[in-house]
Amino acid sequence: MERFLVGIDAFEFLRKEGFPLLRTRFAQSVDEAVQLAKEIGFPISLKVSSPDVIHKSDLGGVKVGLRDEEQVRGAFQEIADAFRAMSASGKFEGVLVQEMGKGTEVIIGAIHDPQFGPVIMFGLGGIFVEVVRDVSFRLIPIERKDACEMIRQIKGFPILSGARGERVDLEAIEVILMQVSSLVIDSSQIVEMDLNPVFANDQGCAICDARIKMKG
Amino acid sequence: MEYLAKLPRVFCPESVVVVGASTNPDKLGYHVMKSLVKGGYPGRIFPVNPRAAKIWDLPAFASVDEVPGKVDLAIVVVPAQAVLGVVEECHRKGVQGVILITAGFREIEDPAGSTLQEQLRQMASGWSLPIIGPNTFGFVNLKVSLNASFTSEFSLLPQGGIALVSQSGGFCHLSGFRAIEENVGFSKVVGLGNRCNIDFPDILPYLADDPDTRVIALYIEGMDEPRRLVEVAKQMMGRKPIVAYKAGRGQSGNSASKFHTGSLAGRYEIYRGAFRQGGILEVGQTEELLDVAKALDCLPKLRGNRVAVLSSQAGPGMIACDVCESNGLQLVGFSPATQQRINELLPPLAIRTNPVDMGPAWYNPGAIVGIMEAVLDDPNVDGVIFLAMYASANIALAGKMREYFEGREPLSKPLVACFSAPPEIWWEDIRAMDRKKGVVVLPTPERAAKTMAALWRASLSGG
Repeated sequence: MERFLVGIDAFEFLRKEGFPLLRTRFAQSVDEAVQLAKEIGFPISLKVSSPDVIHKSDLGGVKVGLRDEEQVRGAFQEIADAFRAMSASGKFEGVLVQEMGKGTEVIIGAIHDPQFGPVIMFGLGGIFVEVVRDVSFRLIPIERKDACEMIRQIKGFPILSGARGERVDLEAIEVILMQVSSLVIDSSQIVEMDLNPVFANDQGCAICDARIKMKG
Repeated sequence: MEYLAKLPRVFCPESVVVVGASTNPDKLGYHVMKSLVKGGYPGRIFPVNPRAAKIWDLPAFASVDEVPGKVDLAIVVVPAQAVLGVVEECHRKGVQGVILITAGFREIEDPAGSTLQEQLRQMASGWSLPIIGPNTFGFVNLKVSLNASFTSEFSLLPQGGIALVSQSGGFCHLSGFRAIEENVGFSKVVGLGNRCNIDFPDILPYLADDPDTRVIALYIEGMDEPRRLVEVAKQMMGRKPIVAYKAGRGQSGNSASKFHTGSLAGRYEIYRGAFRQGGILEVGQTEELLDVAKALDCLPKLRGNRVAVLSSQAGPGMIACDVCESNGLQLVGFSPATQQRINELLPPLAIRTNPVDMGPAWYNPGAIVGIMEAVLDDPNVDGVIFLAMYASANIALAGKMREYFEGREPLSKPLVACFSAPPEIWWEDIRAMDRKKGVVVLPTPERAAKTMAALWRASLSGG
């Protein structure tokens, strides 16, 4: 049996493992969402959190750049309506209230290749990964040198090294790559991980969304 | 692994038995005998064929058991259904290893082929018997004049320090005959075929220890345990450079199609990353494999990425510069002393900084050699690309260069040269310079520059 950790469960798991995350809280009600948004500070995003939902944005389950209480209330309602319209049987548990990520989106993943076994992947997010397949791979476990090289191997590396004006903290990306590699080696349960996107900027990195495929 | 310890004897046998040797040119057993005999193998050759008295003028034996004395290597070219019996006979005879040329195993559609190969593997494992193949063209060990393949012309390959290990016999024929034309030198060429119990990672440690081999070139299609190759390569890092050409990139069988980011992963992309991890230098073309292996075999290490391009005509120089710059090499400024020497030798009619257009010195091969020497001496320069296209006016150039290189000690930095000349002209001089004293000759400016860039990648990966 395999199962997915998504939403707040994935975040809790990663938090315990010491991964850097965007500030993210779970709200069961609209009032709670407003309260948490104020604590985190506007603008924020709301995301549906339910084990039944793998592709949140397809469902209209993600609302970003919410600037005030009114927008948060409206967005909460829209997400709840969209969820109920889409999934009659699924249980709407609530939403994630999350600070907005800043910087360049990157993706970090661990997959299980039938020939090579556990493999780690790195790429730029969005169009770069979807259209031009600009990603690099290494076999798990990796060394720090591998982490360093696999970031520099992608064609879009100049974007990370400052071609668009902002240089990102590459060491912070390397640290996450090392963490993923160790976690996959140490845990007998993790089959695959998908940290997508991870925001990288000159201050460091923060995971915005994650899915983890577990055994059992 | 105990059976791998037998490989040195398998590649340098004192005696060879050919099971399935034939007098009929329509049989591979005829061609294997031809390769051994014509290739000048100095050890004893025992043809085995129950229906012939003599083959290639050598007395034939009815079975392996009847062969007198010790046998190190068995080349087997009998039909697939007879193979298990023959291999058992070889084991009884105490052979150290088998080259199984016979096809009809795992590569065929009929599952009986896979079953047969598995039976063979288990037998061999019980006997600690290395089996190269099945479904291989064989191998050649040029150092000991052993052509254990079904193509006798492999004996014509230039001798050098490259061990080519290929999953495909066809690739060995493709690259082998290109190599004759382009003067690429080999220690060994080995076809692994279906890899009964000698796969890439099994043969690498032997080649790492092989004193005749300086560079290992791999042609890979697919492997059962690719991770093992990376692990072995990693252990070898820094000992001998490994260059690999991976075919079969458009894998439709995507390794992780179910998972979102994983669905982007073609296996080839994982191979690429794994090669990097193992310090294996990846190339993407047949000629690139040969060029890079030739350069790694014959040139001193490229210690930095600062190169100079010297060209006797501007155009080819520009081409080389383009390729250098887009592949991580830097066209460096010369030291004042070097620039001074160049300015003394070259009138101010063309570019005298890097890249140097030596056109104005056409009639003066001495000046061209002087410029080359000045640039080779420059501590700012890590490697030199030298380009000269023949024109009637510069006919004396190649001879002058040859004279220069023959008279000096080997270079301490790599020089990759490219000449283009009509048939017969310059040819002998070019061959005399190629692969000696830290110089290699490649056919085009692009290939010269790309190869220099590969040397830099090799230096970075510790190769």
